[in-house]
Amino acid sequence: MSITLYNYVLSGNCYKVRLLANLLNIKYETVAIDFHPGKEHQSEPLLKLNPAGTLPILVANGQVFTETQAMLVWLAQQHDPSCSWWPINNANQLAAVVQWLGFSSRLSATIGELRLHSMLNNTINIDSAQHGAKICLRELESHLTEQRIIGQQWLTGDQPTIADVACFPYTALSPDAGIEHDEYPLIRGWLHALRSLDNFLTMPGIHELHELGSTIRDKT
Amino acid sequence: MTGLEHAQKYWYPVAMLGELNDGQTKNTQLLGTEISVCGSNEESVTVSSAGQLLAVQCQYDHVWTTFSDDPYPLFAIPEAEEPGRRFVPCGVVRVSCSPLRAVENFLDIAHFPFVHTGVLGAEPHTEVYKYDVQIDEKHDEVFATNIRFFQPQASKSAEGSIETEYIYRVPAPMAAILYKTCPPKPEAMDVITLFVQPIDEETCDVWPWMALYDDTSTMADLIQFQQLIFVQDRSILENQLPRKLPIDPGHEIPTKADLTSIAYRRWLKKRGAYYGALEKI
Amino acid sequence: MTTEPIGLAQDLAPKGVMRAQIGHADMAIWRSTSGVISAWENRCPHRGMRLSHGFVRGESLACAYHGWHYDCDAKCHYIPAHPELEPPSTIRPAIYSVVEKAGIIWVNTAGTATPAELPDRLLGLRTITMQCDLSTAAHAIASAAQTNAALFNGSVNDINSDQTILSLANPNGTDGICILFQQPLAQSTVIHVLAHDSYSQNELIAISRWCESVRREAERIMQSSNKVEPAK
Repeated sequence: MSITLYNYVLSGNCYKVRLLANLLNIKYETVAIDFHPGKEHQSEPLLKLNPAGTLPILVANGQVFTETQAMLVWLAQQHDPSCSWWPINNANQLAAVVQWLGFSSRLSATIGELRLHSMLNNTINIDSAQHGAKICLRELESHLTEQRIIGQQWLTGDQPTIADVACFPYTALSPDAGIEHDEYPLIRGWLHALRSLDNFLTMPGIHELHELGSTIRDKT
Repeated sequence: MTGLEHAQKYWYPVAMLGELNDGQTKNTQLLGTEISVCGSNEESVTVSSAGQLLAVQCQYDHVWTTFSDDPYPLFAIPEAEEPGRRFVPCGVVRVSCSPLRAVENFLDIAHFPFVHTGVLGAEPHTEVYKYDVQIDEKHDEVFATNIRFFQPQASKSAEGSIETEYIYRVPAPMAAILYKTCPPKPEAMDVITLFVQPIDEETCDVWPWMALYDDTSTMADLIQFQQLIFVQDRSILENQLPRKLPIDPGHEIPTKADLTSIAYRRWLKKRGAYYGALEKI
Repeated sequence: MTTEPIGLAQDLAPKGVMRAQIGHADMAIWRSTSGVISAWENRCPHRGMRLSHGFVRGESLACAYHGWHYDCDAKCHYIPAHPELEPPSTIRPAIYSVVEKAGIIWVNTAGTATPAELPDRLLGLRTITMQCDLSTAAHAIASAAQTNAALFNGSVNDINSDQTILSLANPNGTDGICILFQQPLAQSTVIHVLAHDSYSQNELIAISRWCESVRREAERIMQSSNKVEPAK
């Protein structure tokens, strides 16, 4: 089995794939793509692979994936015999996971864009992204409140799924975009729970939880 | 002379040569003033502010400018002339912090095990051994030498943990140069610099640049390694209080491990480099 | 300065660190592995790093920047860069008085924290931040209490007569929910909501959603009143 991730180390979307692969102990190769400053993702060789000009790109046994959510589904379906990360045997939960995968795109489109603006000075509509980010984080906080009321710690149940993995990065990285977590106590608890998982992986902006000792670190 | 007037006498990076694009104007800020960078290459590039052309020079893969008619000369990096080195401009990262805090963090090694965990440091190897700091009187630069630190992955070219030797050089208030053990070429040292463009006193654009001996890593690998390191620092820099660097002793508590930072702050104060500094507490 | 509620006790688990603000005081609040809670000035004396970004190890809070360890009395007891050094006892952030009572974390930045008296059998529901001033929030809460007969009977009791704690009775007139206002920051109001232990899960979810409706309404009122103000 060969898995190659075309990767940019500061991308929250690339990180989703690396994070799930680590959590599931999946081996993969990375190819560093010079997103900034080189704009290599917009270069002809990469556009041949992904005409959308986005990262990440995952090539698994010759099949090319260009949507992060598809990569998460593929990794979980291939490598999680317990079917807990991609709960195909439970229609309600599976639909809820897909719902949150959709939500994760809203996080990318708001917090992700704001972060690129704050760090790399990309031009965006700041007001609209900030408003959208606030709506997203409030929705997530309220959902986690309801989950706590019914005794569940994760987004769709009492076990983490790829929905948690998909929503984690840009939520955790919102301070990079100037949005602190102070207003969101349930989100803080959920982020801490995810960072406490075995085989958790860090990225720049998401530091290691030193209370735990040795987690796997990103050296890509 | 105010801190701003002093700061205006230096050269600052405002663009990467490689990002110049014919017909496109890059608008940015320097020391609180709007500036524009135009042109497509080293020969044609101009920098202007409020319709006035500023002095320009191209060095170390970047476009440099100054507000002064009689600036301090741009510092020399002799290694930039050495054949065999790869020159790696790493792009820019914006940070909401004083430009002086960004430089001081670059001069700090004690944070490696906690901020660059598993790469530039790792517990239990946290001890900072005695090192030396002096002012090079001839060039009026801060020098820190004989720094040794245990590093799990010192650079892209390092295979496994090594004890790394560091030398720091501060040639200007908003620039720092690191000379560091070069794993593939033990007789030489890699050069990693931090060029800081002060947007204002509490915001900066940071342009890391490297001159390395490494024939195997791809350019993207080298750039991403440096970006990984620098962005790990970013969330620290944006959460230091006060935002400006307290330049007088008493507001913060240094230890022996902070000798470089102590010398840097004294050196800033002596030359009146107060832009981005907290003068009175 | 009075004692302020800054969060729900259940939102700060062992090994948790959070940030809170009262007036100009920026604080790191943390809970040790064994459960001891502390409230400190949010600034490591070494290099000014916010301690709310730090990590908890056993009974210590360590700074995220250089790993300086502080014990529950705020005394620095370990500097990793100098493992053999006994740090001077003067290295400590300022500490504030903090107590936990009735599911709430209470802090006083200028004296001993003395929590308000609250009705019995209340459990923490959630903390919610509104982009509006305190009186707009209180007004929105009072009007919304009168239009949800399924959850409340409409009576709003101002427990301290200063609008810092409101009690909303449930439909049969007994204790329903308590809303505690934290001293407001510029342009935002934080409320901590406690609910009586007799509510069912579905009712608690309904109350949580009711809080969101109240927030939307309060922020809508705030925005429309801001629009008629003359431009600054």
